[in-house]
Amino acid sequence: MSFITGKSIPRRAFLQGVGATVALPFLDAMSPAFAAPAKAPVRLAFLYVPNGIDMKNWNIEQEGAFATPFPRIMKPLEGFKNDMIQIGNLTHNSGRALLDGAGDHGRCSGSYLTGIQVKKTTIDIKASVSCDQLIANKIGDQTRFASLELGMDDSRQAGDCDSGYSCAYTNNLAWRSETQPLPPILDPRALFERLFGTGIPLSPAEKERQARYRRSILDFVMADTRALQVSLGPTDRRKLDEYLSSIREVERQLVKAEKDSIAINPGLAKPYGVPPDFAEHFKLMTDMITIAFQADQTRVVTFLMTREGTSRSYREIGISDGHHPCTHHQGKTDLMEKVTQINEYHTKQLAGWLGNLKAAKEGDSNLLDNSMIVYGAGLSDGNRHLHEDLPTLLIGRGGDFLKPGRRVVYRRETPMCNFHLTLMDRMGVPLDNFGDASGRLDPASLT
Amino acid sequence: MGIAYEADLENRIDAVLALAMLYGITGKNEARNIAFSISRPNIKAAQFADVVAGFYGGRAAGGFAMIGMPERGLPADASSLILATLQRKTTEGGPAYTSNISRVLDTADNAVLTRNQLLAQNDGNATIVLAGPATGMAKLLGLYGSRPQLEAKVKQLVVAIGAFPSGPPDTSIKADVAAARKLFAEWPTPLVAVGAEVGAALPYPGSSIEKDFSWSPAHPVADAYRVNQRMPYDAPASALAAMLYAAHPDDGYFKLSAPGTITVLDDGRVQFTAGAGGKHRYLIADPAQTELVTNLYTGFVSAQPVRGGPGRGRGAAPAQQQQQQQQTPAPQAAPPKPTDSVPKPAEAKP
Repeated sequence: MSFITGKSIPRRAFLQGVGATVALPFLDAMSPAFAAPAKAPVRLAFLYVPNGIDMKNWNIEQEGAFATPFPRIMKPLEGFKNDMIQIGNLTHNSGRALLDGAGDHGRCSGSYLTGIQVKKTTIDIKASVSCDQLIANKIGDQTRFASLELGMDDSRQAGDCDSGYSCAYTNNLAWRSETQPLPPILDPRALFERLFGTGIPLSPAEKERQARYRRSILDFVMADTRALQVSLGPTDRRKLDEYLSSIREVERQLVKAEKDSIAINPGLAKPYGVPPDFAEHFKLMTDMITIAFQADQTRVVTFLMTREGTSRSYREIGISDGHHPCTHHQGKTDLMEKVTQINEYHTKQLAGWLGNLKAAKEGDSNLLDNSMIVYGAGLSDGNRHLHEDLPTLLIGRGGDFLKPGRRVVYRRETPMCNFHLTLMDRMGVPLDNFGDASGRLDPASLT
Repeated sequence: MGIAYEADLENRIDAVLALAMLYGITGKNEARNIAFSISRPNIKAAQFADVVAGFYGGRAAGGFAMIGMPERGLPADASSLILATLQRKTTEGGPAYTSNISRVLDTADNAVLTRNQLLAQNDGNATIVLAGPATGMAKLLGLYGSRPQLEAKVKQLVVAIGAFPSGPPDTSIKADVAAARKLFAEWPTPLVAVGAEVGAALPYPGSSIEKDFSWSPAHPVADAYRVNQRMPYDAPASALAAMLYAAHPDDGYFKLSAPGTITVLDDGRVQFTAGAGGKHRYLIADPAQTELVTNLYTGFVSAQPVRGGPGRGRGAAPAQQQQQQQQTPAPQAAPPKPTDSVPKPAEAKP
């Protein structure tokens, strides 16, 4: 058992068993008696959607406090209108051609968090340390994982994914160094094992035993759980039960997804355990991000919902055409409608996750309040490959920092890197410069 | 050659004429207009620049050109030159010119816009022309990582400020002495200054306004010229000399001083000190070229818009402008009628 009873429980306490570790969420018992309540940490997540967004159905008409009905793509998020800021006119100049010719998809995802024009190559890749990693480098030692890199689409790291741009640019958001991207975890099972494994490899016999009996990770930490429950008050006990239930639910989903993956489409070129259904996959991944945030396993997440330039189809909503071909609609209304539907489908999934974050209580607030969730794309108009007015949502309050519930528009050509610098400030990593930033966003505009 | 231009439109009619010249040069594919900024935070001046851009290149319905502008810093003058032009009415009583720029958010930061557009140019294939306070250029110099970019991209900076080898204080320099000082001290590539004496020696002939613009029932640049001062008058035009030199540096229209260093004095005067290692030179009007240069001025400034927008083909407008032009090429200003009476400056070269 790794927690201490008697006085307060350490924030970094966890339940342990053979081959399993379950970090704890924030509990009242973690605050010493009579001490001021501990301040919850601020979490940052970047959710990236590819191929631009139908801006006509994205941008909210009026600036300032949300007063008009949300446009179609934003509609699923209407329940969170007091939790978000829609930002207009951020530009990634380094995503533009700048003499490098075709390859907007490769460039825009490569530059999204690195802020620089990536080298056009399929061999000797070169970008820059991404802003999430600059944060992780500074605060990562306070959590079990400095950062988590997740995705749902494609993790190829080599080959040409867009007009001479390496797949390393389209398939990663996070870059540890100029030449080292951090490939996302696509398989929910792999993410689960990363979050709840001890990091010590199980022996083949132990692995087999776990698999054969499909035992819950919670079974392995049962002894610690019981011991902890005895020492908790009723509020904390309920909180712990909810938290452990959410882990159990993820396990159930995983098992179901693994069965479905084989039964529905055995030929699907996806890692074992990756659910064929987008919504199911998204829910699994984001449920685990929620758990990781709750347990303060990490404070920095990048999540490539699908890779830039993806031609993924969305048969679950009746769209068999690829996403990317649809975005090059050239004004054809049927294709434009499909793009809007895909964008809308994405925000529906996002809304589901935001609901979970909001429901996760944390002291007097909730997980969403203590987070900054950036949802956006590296292109605005996917048909014309525009790199200005990039669709950007900043969701959450960043721990009583942001004043959401409005649309904020900056001047044209305002560098996206100004936004990154502002986020880094809030995460406790103030830098003089980043990418092509010309300064910070006006703090008064967001706070 | 791509030309990025920043100018004090509200206080300098020669800067307005030079904007028209830039469109004229671009229309003839002799250079490319890559970015335009006004040098003072004045939304009316941005509207005027948008009107001019629309006149020459067209805009999307409800759209507007990409105009750079500082957000704050220098006092914003609302000169009659700009206001009277924007307020001109048609015979039916409607506005002769319209702009959809209505607020600062509709513009871009001038330093960022120029930097972004320079990055899209081949190395050594851009020139910056400044005819106004140096505030934006000083900011450009201060942008993180911009100096190596400027060194790589900018062949030369041509500034229409000061008086050489000596002269009275310059209004544009006095507006921001610190910025001008920084500009001359730190600019990393060759710099050519065009002083007031060149503008006085080679003025824009007022007669051209009545003679060369008759093809257009409403021309914002000609209108601005008329309201700037009681007609007829010849306008000193150092900005025009700067623009012509920027587009045709090797054509012998002007002479150049020996290299040296320009320093800025506290009262807004400049001082040129000759020295072989200096990166600065100043332009000298060549009396032998006066007629030719004047013809080039009037030819470029009064050139008709090229259908399809400025800089199509070999020359390209900024990406954002191109994208807007592709939507709706028709200009909002009164469409000019074709004429064959425009002088052909390119044919008049020595």
